[in-house]
Amino acid sequence: MFEEASEVLENMLKWSLPLSLVLFLVLVCPLRAEAAHEFSVYRMQQYDLQGQTYGSRNAILNTEARTMEAEVLSRRCVMMRLADFSYEKYQKALQQSAGAVVIILPQNMSTMPQDIVQQFMELETELLATETIVPVYFALEDEELLSIYTQTQISSSSQGSSSAAEVLLHTATANGFQMVTSGAQSKAVSDWAITSLEGRLTGAGGEDLPTIVLVAHYDSFGVAPWLSYGADSNGSGVAILLELARLFSRLYSYKRTHAGYNLLFFLSGGGKFNYQGTKRWLEDNLDHTDSSLLQDNVAFVLCLDTLGNSDNLHLHVSKPPKEGNPQHVLLKELETVAAHQHPDLKFSMVHKKINLADDTLAWEHERFGIRRLPAFTLSHLESHRSPARHSIMDMRPHVDLPKLSRNTKVIAETLARVIYNLTEKVMLHYLRFSTNVDQVQEDQLESLVDWLTAQPRAAQLVDKDSSIVNTLEYYLNRYLKDVKRHLVRADKRDPEFVFYDQLKQTMNAYRVKPAIFDLLLAFCIASYLGCTVNFYFFSNKKKIPLFEKQ
Amino acid sequence: MTLFHFGNCLSLAYFPYFIAYKCSGLSEYNAFWRCVQAGATYLFVQLCKVSEPFGPHKDVSNEFMKATVDLADLLGLHLVMSRNAGKGEYKIMVAAMGWATAELIMSRCIPLWVGARGIEFDWKYIQMSFDSNISLVHYIAMAAVVWMFTRYDLPKSFRLPVTILLGLCVYKGFLMELFVHVFLLGSWMALLVKAVLTGAISLCSLFLFVTLVHSN
Repeated sequence: MFEEASEVLENMLKWSLPLSLVLFLVLVCPLRAEAAHEFSVYRMQQYDLQGQTYGSRNAILNTEARTMEAEVLSRRCVMMRLADFSYEKYQKALQQSAGAVVIILPQNMSTMPQDIVQQFMELETELLATETIVPVYFALEDEELLSIYTQTQISSSSQGSSSAAEVLLHTATANGFQMVTSGAQSKAVSDWAITSLEGRLTGAGGEDLPTIVLVAHYDSFGVAPWLSYGADSNGSGVAILLELARLFSRLYSYKRTHAGYNLLFFLSGGGKFNYQGTKRWLEDNLDHTDSSLLQDNVAFVLCLDTLGNSDNLHLHVSKPPKEGNPQHVLLKELETVAAHQHPDLKFSMVHKKINLADDTLAWEHERFGIRRLPAFTLSHLESHRSPARHSIMDMRPHVDLPKLSRNTKVIAETLARVIYNLTEKVMLHYLRFSTNVDQVQEDQLESLVDWLTAQPRAAQLVDKDSSIVNTLEYYLNRYLKDVKRHLVRADKRDPEFVFYDQLKQTMNAYRVKPAIFDLLLAFCIASYLGCTVNFYFFSNKKKIPLFEKQ
Repeated sequence: MTLFHFGNCLSLAYFPYFIAYKCSGLSEYNAFWRCVQAGATYLFVQLCKVSEPFGPHKDVSNEFMKATVDLADLLGLHLVMSRNAGKGEYKIMVAAMGWATAELIMSRCIPLWVGARGIEFDWKYIQMSFDSNISLVHYIAMAAVVWMFTRYDLPKSFRLPVTILLGLCVYKGFLMELFVHVFLLGSWMALLVKAVLTGAISLCSLFLFVTLVHSN
């Protein structure tokens, strides 16, 4: 009976074993190797503006890593640290048709010396200006990434070394790295909506009141959208605008300080992409509606752009204001307030004509100027080309809170002087009121700036459902009336702006050995097996018979 | 070249088995299906071991208990050998070959297939293949010791050494873990220690075996 059972078992095994083996192989076929290191990478900007393409076109990567010291860079992923970064090296990598460039940034920018930060800020615009098919990534450094970089650097710099023995030893011990990104090729995002928000405070005294418009764009810009925090430009402008909204809404709630001016507040989106939000808002208000505050009596438009630092204050105009206009009054009041109350502040007016032949407009007030509305931009920067407006280095430490607070006070007081007709009694009330809220003002500003710089605010990342837009809308709703959203979508046939996706990807670094290594290993294994066979035959000859033939 | 690497590891793991099978003359005895039966017994024993639940903590006493369960291995080997008629060496070789090959397929083929084929390179696959070579020697020694233990004509003086060797075989895994933990050995050093230990056990058992066979 035992024999029969074993026969059955044998038959079963004859068929089941190969079958189960095949099944096993089929089941485990999908290959999922574990990487040496997995980290997030942020891609360089990619966008089209008014038909011009900018930035890096490509998003997929599967190449070996090298550093700049290597001789052959073509089709390799070149890794550079910020400290060693220079435009010449970048150009060299591109000329040798590198597969990709990864720039490693330190976790904490404040550890970098100022001159390197400054140099990088100036390079950012140049990096974006040259359109490239090579994907450029930015990664934040951590210990593992640093060790990968050092190992790659060592093996890259020793590639030129001479003797064959060294090369052999090198292949056995060193590690190469293969960099692979997850995700697909980048493509244009269809139907992206840029959101802008407006709100108002109606003046006292009936119809036909003059309107003052206060504008600030809330989006940020940098060489990598996911790393653009835009603290000073334009987080400071947004913070000041929200503070002014809060202040004047309190003032307007008392009869004595309810002035005869309408105040219109506008938080525009897409500001860094040639002020798309403002452009469409103006078109809608001036061309497509019958009556709007913008059509009637506009005293002036004040745009706030980058006011978080420095002891300079510039009022940028496209046409110097004539005597007797409200614009002139504003200019005079600004000079007075700056000179008398804040002597450390250096105020000046900068006159720049609108140049329609340029690719993009300089300041936000130029959009209003084109539509014949009197407008200025207030900024501590002297030139619109300043790298501080388009940099990923513009983070929270770039905003100096006391200076931001001082600038807010200057603007608030100037506006008060303009709208309250300078009568003594009202001004006294205002002054009493404003000194009470001084301390709260600085705390409010601080929390606003902290919140604004906690996440990237690039226009490609803030869609109409994002938390930033919702929070801004909520804040405006607390203090202003008639808060409305305004959406901008690119025209289908002739889009003014096109955004591309795949801006944040995960990169895997796999440890690999060169092909020679496998051959070397095969050789070693063959010799080891040869030894075992020899050993066996040797022991056989020495007559330790394992089986005697019976 | 990673399929190549997989091929390297597989040949390193499997070739000694092939050599042992061919050169020990088992092929002349048509022992293939008997080895497969031994392999099936191995599977059965592993299943039985798995169904023994133990506590979750990874401490010394738990590991010791786990190692004690490996006594089932000995029982399995004994079962296989008792079912095969023939000379002592034949029984030992059949049992050991089948057992070790089953272990190779079950515990090494899958990790090698999944891991060594991937882009990422790791030395552990080569180490795994070496380990399977060491396992082969270990199982041959273990089968020999079990066979000797069950002989009724075992001289009294041999009882003690054989029992000690038996204990060492069963608790070898446990001893290895202890060594690695206490001396904080690297992976290559651990492999070397394991090879030395197995070598020592197998030499002792070989010596005892030869003495026993030749004294009869």
